[in-house]
Amino acid sequence: MIIAIVTGFWYYGSPQYSDVGYRPKQPAPYSHKLHAGDLGLDCRYCHSNVEISPIANVPPTQTCMNCHKIILPQSEKLLPVRESWSSQRPIQWVQIHKLPDFVYFDHSLHLNAGVGCADCHGNVAQMEVVMQKMPLSMSWCLDCHRNPDKRLRPREELTNMNWAAPADQKEYAERIRRENKIDPPTDCSGCHR
Amino acid sequence: MSEKLINNKKKYWRSLEQLAETPEYKESLHQEFPEHAREMDNSITRRNFISLMGASIALAGLAGCRRPVEKIIPYINQPEEIIPGVAQHYATTMPLGLSSYGLVVETHEGRPTKIEGNPLHPSTLGASNSIIQASILGLYDPDRSRRVIRKGNEQEWIDFVSFWRELYNRYLQNKGQGLAVLTESFCSPTLARLASNFRAQFPNAKFVAWEPVSDENIYNGIKIAIGYYSQPVYHFEKAKVILSLDSDLLQTESENVSATYGFANGRRLADEKDSMNRLYIIESNFSLTGGMADHRLRLPSRDIGPFSLTLAKQLKGLGLALKIDTNSSPQEGIFDEKWLNVVARDLMQAKGESLIIAGRRQPSYVHALVVGINQALGNIGNTVLYHKPVDAEIPSTSDFSSLVNSARHGEISTLIMLGGNPVYNAPTNLNFSEALKRIEHSVHLSLYNDETSRAVEWHIPQAHYLESWGDARAVDGTISIIQPMIEPLYDGHNTFEMMNLLTTGRDKRGYEIVQERGMEILKGKDFEKEWRRILHDGIFAASALPAEQINLDTSAIDFEIKTAVPEIKALGAENMEIIFAVSPALFDGRFANNGWLQELPDSMTKLTWDNPALISRRTAKELGLENGDIVQLQWQRNTLEIPISILPGQADYSLALTLGYGRKAAGRIGNDIGFDTYKLRTSAVMDFGDGLKITKTDGKYMLATTQEHQSMEGRPLIREGTLDEYRRRPNFAIEMVKLPSPESIFTEHKYDQGYQWGMAIDLNACTGCNACTIACQSENNIPIVGKEQVSRRREMHWIRNDRYFIGDIDEPEMVHQPMACQQCENAPCETVCPVAATVHDKEGLNVMTYNRCIGTRYCSNNCPYKVRRFNFFNYTNNLTEPIKMMQNPEVTVRSRGVMEKCTFCIQRIVRGKAKAKLEGREIRDGEIGPACQQTCPAQAIVFGNINDPNSRVSKIKRQNRNYQILAELNTKPRNSYLARIRNPHPELENYKPVIG
Repeated sequence: MIIAIVTGFWYYGSPQYSDVGYRPKQPAPYSHKLHAGDLGLDCRYCHSNVEISPIANVPPTQTCMNCHKIILPQSEKLLPVRESWSSQRPIQWVQIHKLPDFVYFDHSLHLNAGVGCADCHGNVAQMEVVMQKMPLSMSWCLDCHRNPDKRLRPREELTNMNWAAPADQKEYAERIRRENKIDPPTDCSGCHR
Repeated sequence: MSEKLINNKKKYWRSLEQLAETPEYKESLHQEFPEHAREMDNSITRRNFISLMGASIALAGLAGCRRPVEKIIPYINQPEEIIPGVAQHYATTMPLGLSSYGLVVETHEGRPTKIEGNPLHPSTLGASNSIIQASILGLYDPDRSRRVIRKGNEQEWIDFVSFWRELYNRYLQNKGQGLAVLTESFCSPTLARLASNFRAQFPNAKFVAWEPVSDENIYNGIKIAIGYYSQPVYHFEKAKVILSLDSDLLQTESENVSATYGFANGRRLADEKDSMNRLYIIESNFSLTGGMADHRLRLPSRDIGPFSLTLAKQLKGLGLALKIDTNSSPQEGIFDEKWLNVVARDLMQAKGESLIIAGRRQPSYVHALVVGINQALGNIGNTVLYHKPVDAEIPSTSDFSSLVNSARHGEISTLIMLGGNPVYNAPTNLNFSEALKRIEHSVHLSLYNDETSRAVEWHIPQAHYLESWGDARAVDGTISIIQPMIEPLYDGHNTFEMMNLLTTGRDKRGYEIVQERGMEILKGKDFEKEWRRILHDGIFAASALPAEQINLDTSAIDFEIKTAVPEIKALGAENMEIIFAVSPALFDGRFANNGWLQELPDSMTKLTWDNPALISRRTAKELGLENGDIVQLQWQRNTLEIPISILPGQADYSLALTLGYGRKAAGRIGNDIGFDTYKLRTSAVMDFGDGLKITKTDGKYMLATTQEHQSMEGRPLIREGTLDEYRRRPNFAIEMVKLPSPESIFTEHKYDQGYQWGMAIDLNACTGCNACTIACQSENNIPIVGKEQVSRRREMHWIRNDRYFIGDIDEPEMVHQPMACQQCENAPCETVCPVAATVHDKEGLNVMTYNRCIGTRYCSNNCPYKVRRFNFFNYTNNLTEPIKMMQNPEVTVRSRGVMEKCTFCIQRIVRGKAKAKLEGREIRDGEIGPACQQTCPAQAIVFGNINDPNSRVSKIKRQNRNYQILAELNTKPRNSYLARIRNPHPELENYKPVIG
């Protein structure tokens, strides 16, 4: 009975259950599958600061209007974007990948080391509506921090959704870990302040 | 309690209670938190509690497990230079009276969060003091006024503009007859231009600058000496012998940041062969500068002038070419002859490299005399420079008095007050409030709806300097811009915009006003380029004014001395001296609503949230007074009831009152805190006077001091010696404690890879000014707890300054020791945490994980340094919107029930490492610095990588003065201190001067 309760909490209380699969409805029906998948836009065209800032920014309305002033200017799906632009009020996106406030995650350092977007966010280019694919729990993070080799990829492949580790991944990873002094922190101070 | 100090006969003590060793004191020491922290005595027992909670959990079920929806709100048009998540830094300036302090402010997403000094600015040199650090709280103060108010009704700015335009046209006709402007003093190219335009346009109007605390006496003294106002600029780093006459140059006098910087540079020792400066001070109030002094003479303020005259006579006797008539100096034997003689000889042998400086409370003749002596000693041009003040509006109490007089006679029809708070702090005999009633139209521009704003017709909310445009000139002439960090939070306008409106009748934005003046100054240059460069650097390089030659008018000085030097009447318990001292925290009272400054323990008394009258031990004994007794002061037909506090080192029969407290309309923090000492201040006696009578009343008052919170228990936490002792035994500091070679029962971790962070604090440089405490509070989102909690020892400061008295009970020396988490390699706190919330990381830092902490408080119990602070209450769940904006987003905001402590600013370390990593390099020495190091004006704190033998901190730790505190406990702290060295004159060493 106690084992059942404990196991129950262990699974149902964990981020694996409560967070993976979170797919909220967004104010504008933006499709990553169309833009990043079919059209081939690089992640960094919109999430432009991901390599220089801890925060991977959600793009301002101006980025959308760069194209959509001319492309599909009358589309109904784009109405929230045009309204935001004309009323000068921002679009309020629902945050999906949320870490607790006492965790300080730095995107730029992860990209600098060679962790690709898909490693934590899944194949976003195939998602009509973005969904959280990984639990993003502390144990999940530490699994990689303690053994990063299978996740490190060359800088050119960072946004490649279809990258798979090649045969010589182990040697490659060892080499770049040594060259670039990649040393993922496992101390508390690595993420908690 | 014995003080077993090896080879050191001096006694170290924290307070008079400790020396008295009353049984209550001994008892209170054994408890970290005192008796009156009661236990909960309600009727809920543990059993009831568990059953109640168990029931409610069962009922609650798993409903509400879904986490709340959070939104991401991007920009619509993202400004190019803003990168969310990365801090931006902008340069600006903080004006304070005639000084201006160049700053670099860190902003996050358009909100300023932390103030730093601008390394290029001559008045800050990259550092700052506690008032500058705390000024950011003034921007976000929820009690700031938000609307224009006219006779109790809210109005708009535009209403005031049309109101003024009507008056403006009327006054243009009669050239300003009946119009008056009362402003705070300023030194600014734009304001000066606007002021002169105003005067030209309204020749019949009055334009008066006045401040309750100002350097008027100094300027008047200089004017007597050389015939015109001149601005002194000091270079303390060049002075080998400094004599201070009642000047607290390191904390409360103007330009204290650059003074501390220069003084500390002259004080630092690389080894025993190095030299250091010598500081003599004569003062009545025990000040921070007195604590740093090598020799201190306790004299009532009014005797300091005659003393300096006697000194001048001695100097002449030793052959100094001083043409001032010293015959009116008091007769021989009044002042200690030996002391005088030694000081005089020391000044003579350091000709050209000495400096005499007098404080702002001393009357003008003393300042005139000081100019003369400095000139005769050849100091002018080296340790002190003079130049004509440009763009300065020097305050004048006599002008203010005549203004109030005119108002009382009905000669003023409109009074515009720009800043200031005369209803609260004007000399009480002028009866400003009554005079104000006779003025038809009155306007007050101010940050708060304060005492003066409530008595006028129009109150205009002022824009804080962090949200407005302006410019300023430093005391050495360097021009800098005041650049806003954020749009005005409320409908505020600053002095520049108001002055422009008054002068031109047009409502122009501050940006345009400043640019206009800027174009005049930068004529002939590429304006756009130079303007952007000034905005970037924070200063207009090479705009400092050149030093000028001065010529003494000795006959004027002689005349002033003859008429001004008083007779020396004996002071006693029946005839005491009263002193009006500026508050080191609240200044003249304008920062009364600043919670950080109210809770900052005063450097000398370690008191918070209060301003008792300070007297010496002997005076208290004669009057039968104890700490906290309320007395009634009778002074010049005014009375005031105020508690007293005994401060060892205070001059006998001299009572010091601190200004700036007792306000009624400061805001929720400042209201009714302390006692309004302005009620006793008259225009005839603004600084000090005698004839004070004290009567004891039956009342007692609770004072919240932080000094008793821990005890030294006989261990040498402070190690100090004289320069002589140091030269004879260079390793005296290390040898003071015999360390057993500690052996560990387990294999200790070797910290020899990568970065290993460590810190060294030079006690020779540290003056105890508390800038580090406020900087840490600002950087790390540290809350304030209020007077009652402070009295229960629950203050939250991560770094504190422990003050120790040394030696004689009436003539103590003083030393300060900044104490923060020592980041022990063998941390006693880590081993006792039941949930491993505090662990060590591989760079040597003791890391605190707030989310894991369950609040056992065993770690704080075990910490021998007592640097861990616990959040007893939820100080952060009711933060107002503006205060939320002020929080540093890079540091966790803590809730109730977690322990916190100094982290060596881990957020800065991580940021520095990230930056270096992204650029593919190692961190450079000096690139990362915690908030305390960055702000310390004495540069006493040095942080860095101790694994790098060439880093600054490694070199300092190799000095023979370097010691660790409580190292005998084998805590292996990463923090170490350099022992304090005094530089007494060999003939005055251990000499107790004869007074009175």
